[in-house]
Amino acid sequence: MDHMPENWGRPRSDVYGSYQHAIHSAGPQSHTQVPSITGTSVIAMKFNNGVILAADNLGSYGSLARFTDQERLIKVGKETVVGFSGDASDMQYLESMLERLIIEDNYEQDGHNFRAPHIYEYLSRVMYNRRSKVDPLWNAILVAGKKDDGSPFLGYVDLLGITYSSPCIATGYGAYLAIPLLRKLVSEDEDAKNVTEEQARAAIDESMKVLFYRDARSLDKYTVATVTLDGNVKFDKDVRCQNMNWRFAEGIRGYGTQKQ
Amino acid sequence: MNTMFAEQFNEPATNHSTAAPIEHRFNPYSDNGGTILAISGADYAVLAGDTRHISGYSINSRFQPRVHTLPGEKPLIVSANGFSADGETLVRRLAQRVEWYSYNHNKPLSAKSCARLIQTMLYGKRMFPYYVATILAGLDENGRGAVYSFDPVGSYEREQCRAGGAAASLIMPFLDNQVNLKNQVDPATGEPKIATDLSLEDTVKLVKDAFSSATERHIQVGDYLEIKIVTKDGVSVEYFPLKRD
Amino acid sequence: MSDPSSINGGSIVAMAGKDCVAIACDMRLGMQALTVSNDFPKIFQYNNSFIGLTGLGTDVTTLSEVFRYKVNMYNLREERDIEPETFANLVSTTLYEKRFGPYFVGPVVAGINSKSGKPYICGFDLIGCINFAKDFVVGGTSSHQLFGMCESLWEPDLEPEDLFETISQALMNAQDRDALSGWGGIVYVITKDKIVKRLLKTRQD
Repeated sequence: MDHMPENWGRPRSDVYGSYQHAIHSAGPQSHTQVPSITGTSVIAMKFNNGVILAADNLGSYGSLARFTDQERLIKVGKETVVGFSGDASDMQYLESMLERLIIEDNYEQDGHNFRAPHIYEYLSRVMYNRRSKVDPLWNAILVAGKKDDGSPFLGYVDLLGITYSSPCIATGYGAYLAIPLLRKLVSEDEDAKNVTEEQARAAIDESMKVLFYRDARSLDKYTVATVTLDGNVKFDKDVRCQNMNWRFAEGIRGYGTQKQ
Repeated sequence: MNTMFAEQFNEPATNHSTAAPIEHRFNPYSDNGGTILAISGADYAVLAGDTRHISGYSINSRFQPRVHTLPGEKPLIVSANGFSADGETLVRRLAQRVEWYSYNHNKPLSAKSCARLIQTMLYGKRMFPYYVATILAGLDENGRGAVYSFDPVGSYEREQCRAGGAAASLIMPFLDNQVNLKNQVDPATGEPKIATDLSLEDTVKLVKDAFSSATERHIQVGDYLEIKIVTKDGVSVEYFPLKRD
Repeated sequence: MSDPSSINGGSIVAMAGKDCVAIACDMRLGMQALTVSNDFPKIFQYNNSFIGLTGLGTDVTTLSEVFRYKVNMYNLREERDIEPETFANLVSTTLYEKRFGPYFVGPVVAGINSKSGKPYICGFDLIGCINFAKDFVVGGTSSHQLFGMCESLWEPDLEPEDLFETISQALMNAQDRDALSGWGGIVYVITKDKIVKRLLKTRQD
């Protein structure tokens, strides 16, 4: 009997040779090489008076629905909302970085406020620099707000530092399930001018419902944030998916309706 | 690799290859599609690129311009196509260097020098390259159109025309044929045709044709074509709709 | 480069015109970067059907013999020539017979139906899925380049002479951008009552 617990469950040294410590220290230094607590899709679209975005309140631990009141949309500065998907600890790290950025900018008291493009620029450089150290922050992030000229802004940045802007953006499964629904309304930047906040909200609610139907790591409880061009940020929390229809489940094995 | 670890730690060789490189989950590169194309003429250069941005089979954005104008009163246009995060970063760092050059030396950076600067920037990341096909377009010291093209680690060349990115292999032979008149003979003499400078109008037509064809056969190309034209009067831009499927 | 379909190199293109079709191939046979022959035509004629075979050289030769045998048997049994449509299906079934150990080829068929006089072209993948194209089909190591050339040069209803110029320019400029294709070319222009075979003199590099 080997009384050293650290040796239990290891290949026997006398048979396989002693443990090669090179395995442990091989490759570049790694911190978050695998995400643990994760958030699923964030979806967003522009409308005639701003940008609307939504993310559900689930923090998954693999396939376990670990936290059910996770807030993934945060207000940064006065008129910007940032939505995170991916690793929750990296999200909280970025939150703290953004908070420090805003606080330190505020010391100046020069009347300048960070707008969405500035936050976006900052985040995209942080994300790219971390990927270049091969130690990424495991997130896909949406930044919504308004540009300096007062027009709506919506941008995407992810763990590779990839950035792009579009009138409709969604991360994760949202890119497959929500984007087709949102693009029916707004395909071009011009189209956003003919879409009201109510229409946009309806499309977002519908998309969140579709995501809840089909994304196994999603929740029917979500937050909707609206940034309007007058600089107002509105959070609608604890929204529930409405008018769901699960009748189809009766015919499908695996939903618990059949015993055998 | 195998023997290196074995010797270093003086371990007996084992029958399972523990010393093989540990699999690494994170891949710092991806492909964001798109294609670029540059043609130079007697007193102009054009650099065109489609505006589609993709990941896998998803269209991220239908309008994400990839052709950039560098700062300065004698502007150069550049595009770094491939992995967009690297491309954007390269262009931003280049733009900063070009701007500071003009402040430090009180003159604009020439196309020739800018090309050499790009080479050093690309080669500077030789061991962790920018995953991009880069094309620089502008006017040379004599006011003639100039196009420089680069591989990801900085090999470069001045050329009459060049296609880069996803559909480069579709467009490049077409350019050989229609710009440099390759494989064409004069029916009267039977001698090979000699390429002459194209008019700007013909060049723009050729660019549109090349992209319409590439859009037809390459899924990563489409949405809009952005054509930037450098002349002695500065940079002008033209947009042309491509198929969106 | 242990991919069987790009060891020997080679390219094929076929185009439809007004009451005519054309099919063209390069002449190279290589072993990876080394060229071993510049006299390796890849187009074979069976009655009034033409097939271009690109891919692994040994499979090109083998299949050309298999099709010769099968078309001869067809001629003996049916006492008539095989039509391009029928031949295309023969190619397809022959390839699918080897579904789980395929010939590494990318065939292209061209011809004119002797009854209807309609031009017929089609292409295949290595297990026999038929691509029925109305305009042009390409195959081989320079297929990307050929797609780019054909998509921009081809237009509907070309007369035989114009079709010859179009397919030749498409082939030559495409193979000049492919290290594994080139070293000459052969073009067949097929009309209802005439087959014209021309050799292209091209760059030898």
